[in-house]
Amino acid sequence: MGTDRWAYQSRLRRVDPLPKLILSLTALVVCLCCGSGAVGLATAAAMGVLITALGGLPPRVYLHFLKIPMAFLAVGCATMLVHSYPAGTPVLAALPVGGRLWGFDGAALAAAAALFFRALGAVGAMYFLALNTPVTDLTMCLGRLHVPRLLVELMELIYRFIFVLSETAGSIRTAQASRLGYQGLRRSLSSLGTMASLVFLRAWRRADRIYAALESRGYAGSLTTLPGDYAPGRGLYPLALAVAAGQLAVLFAERGVLG
Amino acid sequence: MTTQRNHRLLRTAALLIGLLGLLPMSASAMHIAEGFLPAGWCVVWGAVCVPFVAAGFLSIKKKVEMAPRAKILLAMCGAFAFVLSALKLPSFNGSCSHPTGVGLGAILFGPMTMAVLGLIVLLFQALLLAHGGLTTLGANTFSMAIAGPIVSWLVYKLLRKAKAPAPVAVFAAAALGDLFTYVVTSFQLGVIDGGMARYLMVFAVTQIPLAIVEGLLTVVVFNVLEKYSKTELEALCVL
Repeated sequence: MGTDRWAYQSRLRRVDPLPKLILSLTALVVCLCCGSGAVGLATAAAMGVLITALGGLPPRVYLHFLKIPMAFLAVGCATMLVHSYPAGTPVLAALPVGGRLWGFDGAALAAAAALFFRALGAVGAMYFLALNTPVTDLTMCLGRLHVPRLLVELMELIYRFIFVLSETAGSIRTAQASRLGYQGLRRSLSSLGTMASLVFLRAWRRADRIYAALESRGYAGSLTTLPGDYAPGRGLYPLALAVAAGQLAVLFAERGVLG
Repeated sequence: MTTQRNHRLLRTAALLIGLLGLLPMSASAMHIAEGFLPAGWCVVWGAVCVPFVAAGFLSIKKKVEMAPRAKILLAMCGAFAFVLSALKLPSFNGSCSHPTGVGLGAILFGPMTMAVLGLIVLLFQALLLAHGGLTTLGANTFSMAIAGPIVSWLVYKLLRKAKAPAPVAVFAAAALGDLFTYVVTSFQLGVIDGGMARYLMVFAVTQIPLAIVEGLLTVVVFNVLEKYSKTELEALCVL
């Protein structure tokens, strides 16, 4: 599902999740705080290089994942782009509506572009974590960071059950579709509603069975597992610093060029 | 002068046609994407969520201490919320979208539990599906797991108190919770540059039909649940 499949295949899979988390988060925070389009673009490129070179992800797949948040970004930036101007202002493109011009000028275009690339960089930084770390490693790492035990356990259980339930939902959907259950809006809605409620019902009954199974194996209120063996991955700390330094260098270069 | 204006109109028309292609895509774009909010607002929305999530966590903790079975059930509910939000929802204008599950979750599990489960589900959506993000987790949690469910829950309780028939209450709760989520999202985006009205306009075009569809879907789900799983629903009231 999504990034998960690639995270398990990553060459960094056996590396301690903590340095990966730190590298990803520093790049993300620096990219966000700089708020510049050039830094965002540089971050997305640098993360692409790291993910493909260290993690062994095909570049094509990285580009595919970068496209996912595109719909939101395009609409959000387009909305940010459009302003209303008094008639006669020099603008790049505008429609006259009610005596005012609705469109954008150079400054608005630059601001929207900066926002777009900043978000792209942030998404790239997040992918370094998501495409190299399976969720189970991440939850174990959160436990080490003293996130409450109950919350971590809920996350682990939810992660496991997501796959169980989406399989159920998938097979019900196939069965419905093969009986023409998705012809037209009305029938689609009724099929979808039936499917959702049946998935809920099965989830509920399954939870009962899982609880019975756990209890019969000596469940005492908490699921304890052994932590996996990780490579220390200390090399990622200086790499995180290098990435942050590179981002700041791009920022200063851009400021120097413009100012 | 006239040729210049003609050129500008031509350029604008070309852009507008391009943007029309984006509208159906925006239907699935309800999560604020990673990196879209400035750092300050990320912190603000994160801080706003803390009391709600903490209250929800404490209430879950109490329930789990009373009945250890509740932990497994709550986890199943969380996974259900994730799977629900991954379903493809048909819409009037032919575009596809995903239900938010705001109304259904709030009515089934209550707003307190929803805050914690919503936080976890949104985190997984950010990591696994790249819907939303780590820095915008606070903002998304507030709109989808706190504000929307509270409105849904209040609407449902009020209408049931006022002796409205169950389907009407469920429909109103789901549709209004859905709409309120978008109002909050518009506010979160608009407050950055003062363009809230523009975001509301864009969302209104795509989200009002979706809210109606989600309301209808929730009614269907409730009808089936009422028919086949009375005992589970009663157990849920205890949970």
